[in-house]
Amino acid sequence: MNCETCQLKELVVVPTEIQDVLRCILHTIIFHRALGLVRPKDVECEHFELTYVSCLPYNRSYLSYEKIDQFIGWVEKHPNRKCQVCLSFYEVKNKHATWFGNKIERLYWEQWYINLHVLNPKSHGKSHYTKAPVSTGGKNASEESSSRHAALESSLCEVLFQIIRFADEKKDHIPTVQNSEIISFPFGISTPSSSDSSFGWHADVLKRMLQTGHPSMLS
Amino acid sequence: MATPSESDRTEQIITLFLHKAQHAVLASRIPHLHLSAPRPTSARDRWFHLALGDLPAQIGHHGAVMDPLVVDILLTPRGDADDPTGSPEAVVERWTAQCVPPSPWSAAAPHHPHDGSWHRKTYKKSIILLRSLYALLRLLPAHRIFRLLCSSSQPYNYDLSYRISSFVAPLSRAEEAELKQYSFAPVETLFGQLVVSVQYRPSLANFNLEVSSMPPMIITDYVGSPAADPMRPFPSSLPERVSRPIMHQYPPTGIRTSAAPSFDRPHSWNSTPLAHHPLSSASGLPVSEIGFLLPENYGHLVPNQRPLGERKGSSGYNELKLSPPLSTSASPSPPTRGGDSPQSRFHLETAPVSIPTGKSQHRSPNLSDPFKSLLPPPSPRSTRADPYCQESPSRSISFRKSEGSILGDVYSNFHIYAAHKGLKDGRDDSGRFSALSSGGSPRYGFSRSSSRLSIQDDLDDGDFSYPFAVDDVDTSDSQARSFDGKEASEDTLSHKSPEFGSSHKSREAEVGILVHMLKTAAPLRQGQGSLLSSESNAEVSMSSSVMSRKTCDVLEELQSYKELKNLLLSKSKSGSLDSVKQRKE
Repeated sequence: MNCETCQLKELVVVPTEIQDVLRCILHTIIFHRALGLVRPKDVECEHFELTYVSCLPYNRSYLSYEKIDQFIGWVEKHPNRKCQVCLSFYEVKNKHATWFGNKIERLYWEQWYINLHVLNPKSHGKSHYTKAPVSTGGKNASEESSSRHAALESSLCEVLFQIIRFADEKKDHIPTVQNSEIISFPFGISTPSSSDSSFGWHADVLKRMLQTGHPSMLS
Repeated sequence: MATPSESDRTEQIITLFLHKAQHAVLASRIPHLHLSAPRPTSARDRWFHLALGDLPAQIGHHGAVMDPLVVDILLTPRGDADDPTGSPEAVVERWTAQCVPPSPWSAAAPHHPHDGSWHRKTYKKSIILLRSLYALLRLLPAHRIFRLLCSSSQPYNYDLSYRISSFVAPLSRAEEAELKQYSFAPVETLFGQLVVSVQYRPSLANFNLEVSSMPPMIITDYVGSPAADPMRPFPSSLPERVSRPIMHQYPPTGIRTSAAPSFDRPHSWNSTPLAHHPLSSASGLPVSEIGFLLPENYGHLVPNQRPLGERKGSSGYNELKLSPPLSTSASPSPPTRGGDSPQSRFHLETAPVSIPTGKSQHRSPNLSDPFKSLLPPPSPRSTRADPYCQESPSRSISFRKSEGSILGDVYSNFHIYAAHKGLKDGRDDSGRFSALSSGGSPRYGFSRSSSRLSIQDDLDDGDFSYPFAVDDVDTSDSQARSFDGKEASEDTLSHKSPEFGSSHKSREAEVGILVHMLKTAAPLRQGQGSLLSSESNAEVSMSSSVMSRKTCDVLEELQSYKELKNLLLSKSKSGSLDSVKQRKE
């Protein structure tokens, strides 16, 4: 079984939009891979004229928003950078007993890379949602912000199309469902903030590679 | 060569997939078919692990397994259909789902394993395909119009309707040029490839969607609440628009013009208030057939060629692994909401501008639970998770009103009920007052033809008590009743309620005492008379407090009062004797 990887189109966002964008994308991906019995619910984006589908129970935190918050906090410390959020689906394989305890081996069979280019809000003006009076000097900034926001909305729609297409086309690698849970397969979200080092998300990628081995071996 | 059971299983998967796909499309495009409130998941609804609720039975793919399913979503201008200058309806989306058999000239037929795993793979992939379809429905431009129509309470100049067919009708060149196509990845089955595609308009800016400029409907001869003037006669005939505001929303012009007989406006206290409704059985038209009388612009329904009930297999799901439900002898169970299907089309989604009387909202034929279909579908943003039976108290009350209760009395008594509800501690809310709570089945507190009787019943319970003890000290009759220990209708009150704390009694008693004192205050006397008047006032207050106590207590107090009286008399006598002696001196 190969590990299918999907690199989503890069989105240019400001920190206030990160949460909305990530939730939209993550829920859409999970909806395609949570193969248990679900009752889908429409969720409207807060900052965009888009509707996505959520299938996660409301009263359980299947999707850890803490990580998203951590990521936003990390972004604020490292502004104006390109970064990635990775959603990985894996299987839990044999537990290897080591000197330090039992190590759970994860075999990743699908990974989604959400590429974000986070802009510094101070250098790119305020969002058009602000209610502050706009002077003539700030008018250009608000127009620019509005056009950027519209472009982001269009790009986000394209990303959702991309997710639907990829999830629909790539189905052969999906493992057998072993339970009747809503979340049929465990998944993990990794962000640059999860390892707050100078290497950023690179360290996360290295960690995963060391833990799981080469994807081509997962067959 | 596939085994017969695998063939049957595959056929079942394909058939139900087409049905589910159609369901997903219609529920996401047709406002009155949008079921946002959670429903109990039926066995059939569990197919493909996507619980969408049940569509009306008449709406379904009635073609053969290999026949294509074509669902056209139309943007229909609202207005007079006979107006030649009006813009025609436009196809904004065309969804096509079909099992395409392999071409006979294909080089090699795909090898299908005979271990029974093939249909499991088919089923798993069909699940993902449906998820993709469902997600894509939210991304297409028509979804915005759908959300707008669902969420707005005002009618727009366009409506979304649908057309289902088993053949791909060719579109005009102009339409084809405006449509963009998206095709999902096909799913291999035993009979061929399950192919789903959509042709959609990438932009709907050409359709100037705006709030309809129709003037609000004013009921000129509105008779108001029957409580105001019960004997006021109703007019013999009313305009159809006024009498059926709901029908005006979705442009069933056929119904508007021909299928709507004029009828007398029913009284709300009629025993059969819906007798004159065109959708009731009394109109002579079976409810199930009304759906097929809808005009063209509302939706064409394909004649029932092969009922789904003839399909084999059950709809139960027994295995953990992704496999379709096992095929047993039973045919798939019909949708649980089949009985409500005609009503689901006439949802009060965009309420007309009319004076709500509660009667128009309750127009339903003789259904077991007519309240279910009368909920306006909330906006997609709505997070309302209440089943439709969890109604707000005001709506419940308005529904009960149509069954014979009087609006004015209902609300006044509701106010009293609410006050009492707060006073009682151990009252069971699952009974009468469940309509006021947030859960449970809708049991309505005002279950009598007259709301006054419902209070009567509660009074007879014995735990009921008025918040004000005015009546307790009002008349001597009430006092006598209390001494006799009778549970009169207005007097079962505070002294019958053990839960009613002494603080309440004392407060009420104080109020009652005060009122009674004001009413029965004796004229003031000078000097000794003032003493007597104050004493008599004390007697009055004490006697009034007696009323709120039990009989034995009252008797004891009566004795004490007698003693006091004797004492006072003796004092007064001695006082008078002294005064006489002083005068003599």
